[in-house]
Amino acid sequence: MINSIVNQFKQRNFLFGFILILAAIILIGIYKPAVLVEGLQRSALYALIALPMALLLGIVDIINLAHGEFMMVGAYFAYFMSAQFGMDPIVSVLPALLIFFIFGLIVYYLTFKHIIGKPPLNQLLLGFGISLILSEGMTAIATNAPRKLSLDYVSSSASIGGVTFGTFEFVYVAGALIVLLGMQLLLKKTATGQAAVAVGQNPRGARVVGINVNNIYLLIFCVSIALISAIGPLFMTRYTLFPQMGSSFTLKSFSLVAVGGMGSITGVVYAALILGMGETLVLSSLKYGKWAEIIYFALIIGVIMYRSHQRQVK
Amino acid sequence: MLEVKKLNVFYGKLQILWDLSMQVGNESVGIFGPNGAGKTTLIHAILGLVKPATGEIILEGESLLAMETDHIIKQGISIVPQDRELFPFMTVAENLRTGNAYIPRARKKYKERLEYVLTMFPILKERLDQPAGSMSGGQQRMVAIGRALMADPKVLILDEPSGGLQPSIVTEVFHRLKEIKNDVSILVTEQNVRQCLKAIDRGYILENGRIAMADTAANLAGNDHIRKSYLGI
Repeated sequence: MINSIVNQFKQRNFLFGFILILAAIILIGIYKPAVLVEGLQRSALYALIALPMALLLGIVDIINLAHGEFMMVGAYFAYFMSAQFGMDPIVSVLPALLIFFIFGLIVYYLTFKHIIGKPPLNQLLLGFGISLILSEGMTAIATNAPRKLSLDYVSSSASIGGVTFGTFEFVYVAGALIVLLGMQLLLKKTATGQAAVAVGQNPRGARVVGINVNNIYLLIFCVSIALISAIGPLFMTRYTLFPQMGSSFTLKSFSLVAVGGMGSITGVVYAALILGMGETLVLSSLKYGKWAEIIYFALIIGVIMYRSHQRQVK
Repeated sequence: MLEVKKLNVFYGKLQILWDLSMQVGNESVGIFGPNGAGKTTLIHAILGLVKPATGEIILEGESLLAMETDHIIKQGISIVPQDRELFPFMTVAENLRTGNAYIPRARKKYKERLEYVLTMFPILKERLDQPAGSMSGGQQRMVAIGRALMADPKVLILDEPSGGLQPSIVTEVFHRLKEIKNDVSILVTEQNVRQCLKAIDRGYILENGRIAMADTAANLAGNDHIRKSYLGI
């Protein structure tokens, strides 16, 4: 009985939050339609980058501080494939998936395998070390010079009702939806996905029901690395590359996973929606545009305060 | 069915189990002993969580020593850990499913096993959609036993099943054990010797890592040393 009431309350709370976000989006759409479209695109990019971390950190509790650097390496991979072999960056997503799955396998066996189950500080230091190796390694290979491909199709645009917006960025919306759907299917409909959820909730419990816990860690790590590295090519179609670009995305992804709720894939998407829409709204203001970064900090502080209040109420 | 032969287990340089031999046939067997006697170490060794220095662990003629824990579980040994080790954010139904989903032999009998478990613990039927972490300690213990039974085990191991439970629930748990022992071999470690002796066929007394005594439950209940040291009579 009590549980039923608590569940109903949680559902109502969730519904209330959803309605609030939806109402805010509609209001923004009425106030500034261009912000609505650009905000959606920005949110989708954030969600796309944060989702592989949500899988790794939120589901199986592995902290990878080199998350953004793997995306950077994937982006450079696409850049060189395009420069050397003329391969379109969108097409290079497929080989990137395969190559970086294997790269993840090597990184896992050489590093993360040895610190699974150890205190989180080990993972933080290891991730930080790997991020330095990747960014400095890329600097040694490709120099610090910013790089950008000139692609005609990224500047395509459309106009609806007097509002002009870029159409290429919808590739991020499509990408985020595909990754979200794929992850939901993996976690909810497959035995391997359920095993990953079980390992994340209780590794010892997972071991005693016959799950090969080491294989699950390995698989989820490789899937996460393959995904974030394959997002690199999509990212570099629109943005400039430099070896130190990864760290800010690691931080944002980390925060989105924390804000969305550990273990909640859809929560990360909602958090990305709030961050992306908020940033775009502030950026659209000529006077206060430089304050956009504050949205990120306000979101984190707001959620920490809310959760702390909830704990006190309990 | 399950045979342990001359097992020696060390934690670093400290020897925990000394030439320990025991067996479990088609019966229920208890392992009793004070804290630190080596009961949990014995279970960890059987499950492959601790690798013995010497000795042998055999299930139906097949050695378990070289196997990883997940393989041992798939061979037909299920455990109800002392701390239950449930998946707190999964529902009861999902917890029960995990007990079955990774055991190929049991997976085909999912419905049959679920029905068996829900008949054994009818209260779980009403709480299938409740997160396991929100249940009382006694109910969580039932979920843990149910999850282990979902694997259709050949040997069910229970590590201190009465630990942390109120007396009425302890009675309920041992009452269920009496029913379960008709269907599966049971190995149970327990400090509540009085209750446990009523539910099992045979028992071993483990003291300082060695088997100090082995006899039927009835004989152990009548033994002066047991009565004085474990039953407080």
